Amino acid sequence: MTKNTAPAFVTGGALPRRTILRGIGAVVGLPFLDAMSPAFAASTAQSKAPVRMAFFYVPNGIIMDAWNPDYVGPFQELPRALKALEPYKEDILQIGNLTHNAGRALLDGSGDHGRACGSYLTGVQVKKSVVEIKSSISVDQIVAKEIGHATRFPSLELGMDDARQAGECDTGYSCAYTNNLAWRSEMQPLPPTLDPRALFERLFGTGQPMTPAERAQQLKYRRSVLDFVMEGTHKLETGLGPSDRRKLDEYLSSIREVERQLERAEKDNLQIDPHMEKPYGVPADFAEHFKLMSSMIAIAFQADLTRVVTFLITREGSLRPYRELGIADGHHPLTHHRHQPELMEKVRKINEYHVQQFAGFVEKLKSTKEGDRSLLDNCMIVYGAGLSDGNAHLHEDLPTLIVGRAGGSIKTGRRILARRETPMCNLFLTMMDRMGVRMERFGDSTGRLEGLDLG
Amino acid sequence: MPQDFQEKPPAGAFFDTDFSTIDSVLAVGLLHGLQAKRDCRVAIITMSRPNLAVAGFADAVERFYRGPAGNFAQVPPIGMITAGHPGETSPAFAAPFQKKKPDGTPLYRNEVKSVIDTADPNTLFRNYLEAQYDQNAFFVLSGPATNLAAALAFPGLKQRIAAKVKYLVIAGGAFSPGPAEAHIKADIPAAQKVFAEWPTPVVASGYEVGAALEFPGASIDKDLAAAMPNNPIADAYRAYRPMPYDAPSWAMAAALYAARPREGYFKLSGPGTITVHEDGRTSFAASEGGKHRYLINDPEQKERIVQAYVELVSAKPEPRQRFRPAALAGRQEQKQEQKNGAGNPTSPPPK
Repeated sequence: MTKNTAPAFVTGGALPRRTILRGIGAVVGLPFLDAMSPAFAASTAQSKAPVRMAFFYVPNGIIMDAWNPDYVGPFQELPRALKALEPYKEDILQIGNLTHNAGRALLDGSGDHGRACGSYLTGVQVKKSVVEIKSSISVDQIVAKEIGHATRFPSLELGMDDARQAGECDTGYSCAYTNNLAWRSEMQPLPPTLDPRALFERLFGTGQPMTPAERAQQLKYRRSVLDFVMEGTHKLETGLGPSDRRKLDEYLSSIREVERQLERAEKDNLQIDPHMEKPYGVPADFAEHFKLMSSMIAIAFQADLTRVVTFLITREGSLRPYRELGIADGHHPLTHHRHQPELMEKVRKINEYHVQQFAGFVEKLKSTKEGDRSLLDNCMIVYGAGLSDGNAHLHEDLPTLIVGRAGGSIKTGRRILARRETPMCNLFLTMMDRMGVRMERFGDSTGRLEGLDLG
Repeated sequence: MPQDFQEKPPAGAFFDTDFSTIDSVLAVGLLHGLQAKRDCRVAIITMSRPNLAVAGFADAVERFYRGPAGNFAQVPPIGMITAGHPGETSPAFAAPFQKKKPDGTPLYRNEVKSVIDTADPNTLFRNYLEAQYDQNAFFVLSGPATNLAAALAFPGLKQRIAAKVKYLVIAGGAFSPGPAEAHIKADIPAAQKVFAEWPTPVVASGYEVGAALEFPGASIDKDLAAAMPNNPIADAYRAYRPMPYDAPSWAMAAALYAARPREGYFKLSGPGTITVHEDGRTSFAASEGGKHRYLINDPEQKERIVQAYVELVSAKPEPRQRFRPAALAGRQEQKQEQKNGAGNPTSPPPK
C-alpha cells in the first residue's frame, strides 16, 4: 500500500528541479533546494528562481478614503484598509489611477459588476448577454500558455464563492462574467476551484480523482499524503545538507498543516449541517477557507507546481453577509451606501477584513526562503478590484496593489500614480514582460506602464 | 452636409483648444449651454499646450458645470499634451481662484495639481469615443491641430473617428485675403495632416467669421451674473482685459455651428478641398464630392447669433441626463459585429 518511489537524482550531481516524491495516489513536488544547484548554490538559485504571478480579486469596489493615502512616494503610515499589511509595506507597490474603460457602460447601459469582473483580466468589453457569452483570453492565460509547460499546472483558477456558470448575475450579464476571472478563449471561462479538498487532491494527487469511498477510507485511517511518500522523503533527506533538510521539513510541515485544517473543516461542516449543499471540503468559516486556499497557493508556488494563479476571493456582486464582523447585510447592497456613514463604515470593515486575510498569505510567502531571498521576492501578486467606488460604479482609479518584487524588477515600498485614464492593461502588458512573455498589445493597452522599477 | 442627429441622444461634443483667447473659454460655457438645451452632450475637453494652470482652470470649469460626481457620471479629466511650450498664462486663469467660500476654501474646485491629474489626449479621445453612438459626435478645434494630428496617427483611433464622428469644425484658417491665421500657423504640419487625412467632413470657420461676430462683454455682468452670481468663466472674462470689452468669437462660432448645423446661422460654401500652404495660409478649391467646406458670415444673422451666444453662455448648468437606449437589442448586434476580431492576440508575435 505504501510502496514508495524514491526520488530520482544523480549522486554527485545536482538534484533535478523536477524531483518529486511519489507514492500510491500521491505526488508531492519539492521546493527549490540548494542541492538542486550545488555549485555556487546561492547565486545560481537566485538567478534561476522563476517569477510567479497571481491575481487576488475582491468584488464590489472599495471605500477609497480607506484605501488611498494622501501622499505619493515611499510609504509612511498605511491607510486604514491596508493596515494589516503594515509589516510588509516594504514589499508592496500601490498604483493609483489605472482605468478599465472596457468596464464602463459605454453603450451597454447598466451591468457594471458583470463588466467589471469580465473585463478585469481580459481588458475587453464583454458581450452583454446571459446565454451568448463572449470575452477574450485573459492575461493569466496568455502567460500560462507561454510558460505553463515548465510546471505541473500551467495555471490554477481558484475562488471561494459561487461558481455558477449559467443564469443572470447582473443586469443582462451571464454569471460567467461575475464568477470567473480567467478566460482561456473568448468563449471559454475557466471556473474557479472552490473546494480546498479538491485543490489539495489536485496538487498532491496523481491526477485520478478519488472516489468518495477512497476518500472516506483515507479519512478513516487518518493517513496523510506525506505517509504515502515517507520512504522517498527519508531517502531524499539523507542526501541533503542541514539547510535543505530544514527547508524540506518546513515545507512538508506546511502541507501537513493544510491537511489538518482540511480535516478540521470537514469535521466542522458535518457538525454544522450534514445536509448543507456545499462542496465536501469547503469550510463554513471565511477566514479558514481563505487560509486553506492561500496556503495551497503558497505551497504551489514554493514547489513550482505553477507560476500563474487567479483567485476570485468572492464573486463580483457578491451578496455575502459578514456575520463574523457583526454585519448581517449583504456586501453588494451595502456598497450602494448613498454616502450614509453607518453603511460606509460596514463596507470599510469588510475591506479591512479581506486585506487581513490577504496579509496572512503575504506573511507565508515572506517567511518562505528561496535562495537568499524570500519566496515573496520572486512573486508579483496583484490584489485589486474591478471597481473603485462601488456606490458610483466607477472603473477608474482601480484599487491596485502589487505585492512582491518579481525577482527584483519591481521597486516596492511606495505608492505611485499613473496619469488619469491610464489603461489597467498597460500594467498587464508590463507584468507579462516580467513573466518573459512579450506582447505588443493587450486589451486596450496604449503602451507599457512606466515606473514600476524606478524610484 | 451635416444633418441633425435623430433617434439618438444629443451628439457628443469633443472640444480641443489651446485656450489662447478668451472666446475659447466662452466656448466651453456655450457648449454647456447647448447641453442644457439638449443640443449636445459635452464629452471631453482637451488642450493642445502643456500648461497646468490653464488645465486647472478648465478642470474647475468642468466641475462647475457638471456638478459633483454622481452615480455613474464622473467628471472626465482634462486631456493635455505634455510636449511643446506652455505658452502665456493669462491672469484670467488664476482670477477665479481668488474667490473663497466663507470657510476660506476656494469657491471653485480644481483637482489638477500635476500632469498626473490630466489625461493623455489620445487615450481620452479613444475612451470617450467608445461611449458615442455611430456618427453621433462632433469635434470642435480651436487652436493648433497638434492633438488631432496625433490622434490620426494613434493606433486604431482614425477608424474610431470615422465610425463615431460626424464632422469636425475648425476655428482656423482664413478665407478672405490676409495673412496666415494664428491657429494654423502654430502647427502647420499638423493642420496639413488634419485637413488631408481627417476621415469625416471638415468645416472651417475662418478668421473672418469670428472676427465679425463679437461677444458683448456687457452681458457678463448683466445676463450671466443674473443667472449665476458666481461663474468661473465670467470671472476669467473680467480678468482677461479691463472691462468692458467685446470679444471676437472664433471658437464660439465654430461650436455654435457644430451643435446646431441646421439653424441657418451661417452660410456655407460648396464642397471642395482646403489646402494648408507651407506658410500657413489656407485656400479653398471647389470640387464635387470634396470633404471640406467653410462658413460664410450672413450679416442678416449677426444679431441672432449674438443673442444665441448670450443666451447659451448665460444658461444655468444642468446635469447631463442619462440616455437610455430604446432599442438596445438591434444596436447590440451592430456593436458586436464591430467588436469581432477585437479580442486579445493569444500569443506573442513570432520572434
